[in-house]
Amino acid sequence: MHLTREEERIYDGERGWANQTCIRILVRLGELFGAEKLIPIDSAHVSGVSYKTLGGAPIEFLRTLADAGAMVKVRTTLNPQSLDSHYLREKLQENLQKPQLDILRQFERMGLTQSLTCTPYYLHRTARDSHHAWAESSAVVYANSILGAWTNREGGPSALAAAIIGKTPNYGIHRAENRRPNVTVRVETKLRNETELGALGIFLGKTLGDKIPAIKGLPNTSKDDVKQLCAAIATTGMTNMFQLGSSTRTRENQKIGVDSDQIKQTIEELSIASTTKPDLVFLGCPHSSLSEMKRIAQLVEGKKVRAGTEFWVCTSCHIRRTAAAYAKKIEKTGGHVLDGVCTVVSWTEKLGIKTIMTNSAKTAYYAPTLNKAEALLAPLEDCLKAAFQG
Amino acid sequence: MEGIRTAEALVSAKPISFLGGVDPADGKIIEKKHDLCGTCIKGKVLVFPHGHGSTVGSYVMYSLAKKGLGPAAIINQTADPVVVVGAIIANIPMIDQIDIAKFRTGDTVEVDGSKGLARILKHKDG
Repeated sequence: MHLTREEERIYDGERGWANQTCIRILVRLGELFGAEKLIPIDSAHVSGVSYKTLGGAPIEFLRTLADAGAMVKVRTTLNPQSLDSHYLREKLQENLQKPQLDILRQFERMGLTQSLTCTPYYLHRTARDSHHAWAESSAVVYANSILGAWTNREGGPSALAAAIIGKTPNYGIHRAENRRPNVTVRVETKLRNETELGALGIFLGKTLGDKIPAIKGLPNTSKDDVKQLCAAIATTGMTNMFQLGSSTRTRENQKIGVDSDQIKQTIEELSIASTTKPDLVFLGCPHSSLSEMKRIAQLVEGKKVRAGTEFWVCTSCHIRRTAAAYAKKIEKTGGHVLDGVCTVVSWTEKLGIKTIMTNSAKTAYYAPTLNKAEALLAPLEDCLKAAFQG
Repeated sequence: MEGIRTAEALVSAKPISFLGGVDPADGKIIEKKHDLCGTCIKGKVLVFPHGHGSTVGSYVMYSLAKKGLGPAAIINQTADPVVVVGAIIANIPMIDQIDIAKFRTGDTVEVDGSKGLARILKHKDG
């Protein structure tokens, strides 16, 4: 790899251990994947925040890095944590909270913003064709496919290293020639809701591996709904972007058709609970947008959450503040708007939650392993019917 | 990544996930059905095809090394980001693009992280 004179100084340790360690990570990954140089990035998004999924392993490294004076050079956001600052904090034991706060503290010392969201694109606009280093696979697919921003699927450590150096190696879809679709997907049925779009993603992720599909047959899909496709396609596959619409030219002639049976079967395979009565009805994977908060608030206003059922809507603290009036309406029903937390990486099993109903295919996919819970997958309206009386 | 280390080889035919696959408390492989399940990686030249699983695995490698439970060196058939990053932050010499079929558990192996070379100094039964 070609390094500038300043990059060589960092590499040789003249700018301290923290910078040296971080640039070594970037250079080694660049060598591994055929990059010829480092390129500047506009932002980074770091995953690996929840104490529940991380355990104690990273705390020591993060602290050592912060002690050595590491500081991010670009705007860097953080993924959700394992609890929110109000509702779950009151319910969980101290020994689960302290290490989580310690992780956040170390990130804060290095200048990462406490955004705590999987949808950093609702906080800051990204310019078209700008380069980024994002972990969090759902946001990576959304950035490349919907926002036209360019990012590989980073891991937590490599995104952090990129943030501290302010650069990333230019391999993968940081190169224009690697961003062209190489398979055509024709959706041969009308997808009716966000859950069916998620099911399409689960199916395509399994089928396509790391291919870039040009997806035809999804007219007038809202950005809120297409977010489910982004999250799901990254859950089961290594695809980092897709193109929507019919004007795209593909590199190869491979074509795949997806029909209503395949969508139906995918939903049935994910919706495996032995009961129709969920302990938790959960919306907000990925984190809810302002418009989703508005829609949920309108649909639940004046209703009451069923006794014995939890109703959670997850979002960022940023959106929660912006949508304060909607959040109030949702909480008046007995439901909870949880900010900064992700249900999938939270301690649901410690709250006795054994069945989770959700409109998110990604959550339904992970709930059995990460939450030790059975999943029910259904669109928003059906989720609300299960959560509310009358 | 760099430096020369000599130690006894511990060889696996299976990929290793450091998150969930290795106990950070004692350095033992805990992944069920793994051919090294129950074996401790501490101080060994760990020879395996490649890593897999969560990128948090890199942090687990750091944590193991800090406690003195990490491998002395790593030899991979193919490099993957989790092990590459883990080896850098944990300061473990790691080399790849090596035919791992020639190594046997118990061989004495020298790993030169700077040159990307590994030699068997003494065969287990030799």
